[in-house]
Amino acid sequence: MLRVRPSLVSNLTRRNAKKRTVAVKTRTTVDPFANSASRQAAGVFGMSLFLMTLGVLFAATMLGYVVVRLNPDPQAPFFSSTSPALPHLMLVSTLTLLISSVTIHATVKAVRAGSMVVARSRAGITLGLAMVFLLLQGVSWFMLWQQKFFIGSSMYAWTFYVLTGLHALHVVGGLVPLTLVWRRVRWGRYQPKNPEGLLYCEMYWHFLGGVWLALYATLWLGSLTWR
Amino acid sequence: MTTIHAPRPTALEVQTDNYLTHSRGFLSWALTLDHKRIGVMYMVGVLASFFVGGMFALLVRTELLTPGQTIPGVTADVYNQFFTLHGAIMVFLVIIPSIPAALGNFVLPIMLGAKDVAFPRLNLGSFYLWVFGACFTLVSLAMGGFDTGWTFYTPYSTTSPAGGVIPVLFGVFVLGFSSIFTGMNFIVTVHKLRPPGMTWFRMPLFLWAIYATAIIQVLATPVLAITLMLLVIERTINIGIFDPSMGGDPVLFQHFFWFYSHPAVYIMILPAMGIISDLISVHAHRHIFGYKFIALSSIAIAIFSFLVWGHHMFISGQSPLLNTLFSLISFSVAIPSAVKVFNWLTTLYKGNISLTTPMLYALSFLVLFTIGGLTGIHLATLNTDVHLHDTYFVVAHFHYVMMGSALIGMIGGLHHWWPKMTGKMYSEALGSTACVIIFIGFNVTFFTQFYLGSKGMPRRYYDYQPEFQVYHVISTLGSYFMASGFFLTAYCLISSLIGGRKAPANPWGGGSLEWQCDSPPPHDNFATQPSVGDCYDFRSLRWDEATQGYVIDPVLAAEAAKHPLH
Repeated sequence: MLRVRPSLVSNLTRRNAKKRTVAVKTRTTVDPFANSASRQAAGVFGMSLFLMTLGVLFAATMLGYVVVRLNPDPQAPFFSSTSPALPHLMLVSTLTLLISSVTIHATVKAVRAGSMVVARSRAGITLGLAMVFLLLQGVSWFMLWQQKFFIGSSMYAWTFYVLTGLHALHVVGGLVPLTLVWRRVRWGRYQPKNPEGLLYCEMYWHFLGGVWLALYATLWLGSLTWR
Repeated sequence: MTTIHAPRPTALEVQTDNYLTHSRGFLSWALTLDHKRIGVMYMVGVLASFFVGGMFALLVRTELLTPGQTIPGVTADVYNQFFTLHGAIMVFLVIIPSIPAALGNFVLPIMLGAKDVAFPRLNLGSFYLWVFGACFTLVSLAMGGFDTGWTFYTPYSTTSPAGGVIPVLFGVFVLGFSSIFTGMNFIVTVHKLRPPGMTWFRMPLFLWAIYATAIIQVLATPVLAITLMLLVIERTINIGIFDPSMGGDPVLFQHFFWFYSHPAVYIMILPAMGIISDLISVHAHRHIFGYKFIALSSIAIAIFSFLVWGHHMFISGQSPLLNTLFSLISFSVAIPSAVKVFNWLTTLYKGNISLTTPMLYALSFLVLFTIGGLTGIHLATLNTDVHLHDTYFVVAHFHYVMMGSALIGMIGGLHHWWPKMTGKMYSEALGSTACVIIFIGFNVTFFTQFYLGSKGMPRRYYDYQPEFQVYHVISTLGSYFMASGFFLTAYCLISSLIGGRKAPANPWGGGSLEWQCDSPPPHDNFATQPSVGDCYDFRSLRWDEATQGYVIDPVLAAEAAKHPLH
């Protein structure tokens, strides 16, 4: 070990040394849980509360849609005369999202079984399907734009873009943790017993699928009487 | 036999490392995951916002001293900004986070005997969301402020020329998520981190209140979030779901807004009720009366809170059937509220009341909440509400409940836990004088407004008929008096930090777990799992002259254990 005479140690380095110990100290965290299993149980509970919150958010949006859809004012009709029907492509995107829900479940199953190679491919497929979903939604929007179906065209258009956009934003938000999870699966970072982050991601992904089904059904029912 | 009398160090002298001295430097606070430090940071932020919001209140009151312009340069438009800022700051930055996020963060894990909340990182995240929300409000001021009223009603908010509407909407959106994450954290903490032996019905009532509040935070706040986002979209592109010319519905905004904001008033009042339950029992040194009723009435209030939003909209044109239903359900909120008040009164009855500052605040709460609650009945009654809607009567009513109850509860709780948070005792003389000044000033300010309102003075007006002036002057003078009380409180608390006596572990004789750890608590709260008993059974406590605090007497404890209260 290198020995330095005390006289050579300047005040500055001494102060730096002090700072360093403080920096280490600030990171001392207290784990409120007795073990990782109880931490994961709390995490799953917390995540379900968060999903409940988001569920209320989407429910309110759909309720708002129903209110303006049932608007009886003939002066300001819900549909304009040129409103197109919902694009059929959205059926494909719905299917994509549902399959990604299955593949993320398969990822968790594989990690739990300890087969990391299978988990890696399932996680990759999930990430790919999520991107394909967003792409298909984008193409649907583009097709509607080409039919001059703009957000200001009618309340039908406004609600369509806002509702699908709101959902797409949540999918984009989900891509970040999904990418992190995919990388961690590739590196084999998850313990078969408590794959915490992956589990929360799976819960969120199923939620996105469920919300999309409800949202798509609402939009579809709302557009039924048109044409 | 020889005995050696060596001075033995007391626990207070040995224990020098507490959460305040555990680590030093700016980053040790800014990046802390310690719930106590986060609670203290919230408290500083909330009190700073309270100062700003209070200044706007004084400006509003000063402007109303005379009909027309009073303060040079304050036009009607500027006045609109004043009351909007006062309302928005007080609601979103002060009262909603004050008790759950500031006091709750500090006390909740210690009351549970836990080392921290369930998700410490999320907790710090919530704090920074609060800071971001507050910053957006400042940005909004720099961009021209906002004059929509704190309720952001459409079409004011979609057509107002003020430049700061979108930033403040975004700010409140962010604050909403801060509130949601705090609520989530507390629900999980209460469920998963209760120590062995602490059943649901052994929790301190403050925890029940925080728990009920957290349920509302998690379930109601997202509705506000999406409503504000829809409003931002509508204001940005000038078309939207609240615009009637396009088939939208402006009343839908009111429904959405009050679906959150009515539960939000229970987010504000429920934690204060929890504090009062604890203050009354501890400072009257008597077991709380009707524990289960108080606990379950918090849950009942939380459930009712979701069913009464329409009483804000009796004159909005909603159907008479809805009006009747909302009126009826609003009346029933009186039941759980009264259950609490009667139980508090019964706790006081034959209690051994110490008239400490926290107790004075608790007694103030009882008076002010009763007045606030009873005047709510006038407003829940359909025909009188048509007359009183949008008058000063409403202003007085909700100030009695929001300020006279929620905020007084918060200040009372702050005095109650101040020795625990800072390790210092404040001057009882100063603290109780300030409380009396605030109580008198508050009533002079707001009781006058009941009269103004019932005579027909509309709220939010810049100008008024000369016959109202005398009442406006009384109200304004009252507000100055009340403000002096708050400044005295600030002086009392801040001076205690410098010259205050060292606080004992248990200065008031409390039985819940936070009084079992030192003042201020050590970094990880408890070295060993504390023992859990009935936190309202004070029979084993004895005043100790040496430490100037209460200590557990083994003889009394053994006696109490022989005769359990329940």
